[in-house]
Amino acid sequence: MNDKLSTLAACIEFGKINKAAPYPPQMKGQDGADEITKQLLDEGVAPGDILSDALIKGMEKVGEKFSKNQIFVPQMLMSAKAMQFAMNHLKPFFATGEADRRGTFVVGTVEGDLHDIGKNIVAMMVEGNGYEVIDLGVDVKAEQFVAEIEKNPNCFIGLSALLTTTMANMEKIVSEIKGKYPEQNICIGGAPVTQDFCDKIGADSYNPDPQGVVKFLNSVAVAS
Amino acid sequence: MKGLELVAKAMKMEEVERIPWIPFVGCHAGELIGTTATEYLKSTDLIVKGAKAAVEKYNPDGIPVTFDLQIEAEALGCKLNWEDDNPPAVISHPLSEGTKLEDLKVPCSCKARIPVVMEATRRLKDEYPDLAIYGLITGPFTLALHLMGTDVFMKMFEDPDYLHSVMKFCTDVSKFMAGNYIESGADVVAVVDPMTSQIDPMSFETFVSPYVTDLFDFIRDAGALSSFFVCGNAEQNIEVMCDCKPDNVSIDENIPLDFVKKIALEKGVSFGGNMKLTVVLLMGTTEDSQRDALECMDIGGKKGFLLAPGCDLPMATPAENLEAVAELVHNELLQGELRASEAKGSSVEKLDLAGHWDDSKVVIDVITLDSSSCAPCQYMVKAVEIAAEKYGDNVVWKEHRIKEKEGVQMMATLGVQNIPTIVMDGELEFISQIPPVEKIQDRIDVYLKNKN
Repeated sequence: MNDKLSTLAACIEFGKINKAAPYPPQMKGQDGADEITKQLLDEGVAPGDILSDALIKGMEKVGEKFSKNQIFVPQMLMSAKAMQFAMNHLKPFFATGEADRRGTFVVGTVEGDLHDIGKNIVAMMVEGNGYEVIDLGVDVKAEQFVAEIEKNPNCFIGLSALLTTTMANMEKIVSEIKGKYPEQNICIGGAPVTQDFCDKIGADSYNPDPQGVVKFLNSVAVAS
Repeated sequence: MKGLELVAKAMKMEEVERIPWIPFVGCHAGELIGTTATEYLKSTDLIVKGAKAAVEKYNPDGIPVTFDLQIEAEALGCKLNWEDDNPPAVISHPLSEGTKLEDLKVPCSCKARIPVVMEATRRLKDEYPDLAIYGLITGPFTLALHLMGTDVFMKMFEDPDYLHSVMKFCTDVSKFMAGNYIESGADVVAVVDPMTSQIDPMSFETFVSPYVTDLFDFIRDAGALSSFFVCGNAEQNIEVMCDCKPDNVSIDENIPLDFVKKIALEKGVSFGGNMKLTVVLLMGTTEDSQRDALECMDIGGKKGFLLAPGCDLPMATPAENLEAVAELVHNELLQGELRASEAKGSSVEKLDLAGHWDDSKVVIDVITLDSSSCAPCQYMVKAVEIAAEKYGDNVVWKEHRIKEKEGVQMMATLGVQNIPTIVMDGELEFISQIPPVEKIQDRIDVYLKNKN
């Protein structure tokens, strides 16, 4: 495999954004995700290969370390930032349909909740794994999710809540969506959310980390 | 004993006769008095009225003035988005939107809603001198997040010196708020820093520990007690949190209570929590709530533990669930019965009583919580003792305390439901009520006659 692809995977894994970035110390002064992605495209490597052989590989490592409590949100955000710089180069190619999408993921924080760190990381990981992501942002009401389902009948829904006080709205949104679309797949997450809560409100999947969301989407996308 | 004394004893790691109970009532107090979160959090009168309603209903040992982590942020210029059924949320982060750190000043105590909560603190302390009044302040790291937005995480790596300066400023704000709360009469200052659950222990020790350790020293020097609240899964940080030397750490259901207990007690720090906020208190029944509280109490124990919900109570938490917890906290007999009924289920190993009975003697089993601490149990045991005396060897009696495993097993094996109960030769004879000695003797006579 192209050496640069594995270097790019390492840039994503360790959050090396570009040459100027001081972090991580062991990669100081080296090219980062920004430069290497550009170089790969210039060398004629297919955007889909850059995505699957470098970015997704790096992000999988990040996801694994996160679920094992080896890294936390700050490290993950650095990887996300590096990924973003790489994606900026790749996005124009995907928009023209050069790469296939595995499905559509509609995501937002629930009504009343404005905390979007977790939601953004999940959106990015899901996008990095080949899905189209429709990010409805923060403070999203049930009607907005329902309207998106009407436009994208085969989409997946992702709900995020950071506060115990807004978790009640998560229940409300799930029941409104399921009332109209009983078969709609909904995954939920956020710091205070638990599997027990997920079972209680009738959502389809709870995951403590972004990697889990990707795994869930892949399992359903393959099955359907 | 008075609530404040009980809380202070628990926080000083002394054995307590009853586990103190602190319902973390914020906006939920607004619900109790029929107002919205927005009205409630902006009014001294409503905050005081709400806290009073909570004290009357939930019979607590301590109570927060209110629960709002946006007060400092608002006073520092963050914009808030107000909600009627939730605390407000910060929607602008001045330090990532052009404001320079050097332009931010520790606010005046007249700024934004600071005077609202300080006046509420004074009135509540006047009203309830014997309760532990908790003043809740935004922890420095969470305040830094309010001021900087998500940048706070990336600056750890990209510009650590800058983040240290922001943390120093936020700590100054925290000390200012802590000092004001203490001056207004707060007995406990709770440093609520939920965002620290999102970072690793090494980042915590680098960017949080030096600042909150200083803050806890400040609170201690001012003569108040301190608690470190963290909501969310901060399992990785419990040890470093305890190293910051608060008097107490309080955690939510994401972290197993026994895990926290082990670390906290090793470090000489009291601990609190972690009743399940949503699946139990918000969505469960009164019985679920009591069982959850009991489980926490049984794990927590009577040394260094305070019973509390994991975090801010959701506004719509049914009052009856919290009333049920309050009833349980104050009723040791109820705790015993609940514990025993739990044990009756699948998990208890029944006893083999084949050798327990006797062809010529009446065997009396008295099932109690513990006759040395439960008054009805004591009278019932005494009555049996006196009644049995004249029969000499013909009657054997024994007390089975359900505080001990054997007692629970005996209770389950005999099918006893209530405490205390007198059982003769395996038959339930006297339940809950303490019979006169003659009544007990009448029954003994019947059993003896059948044997001869």
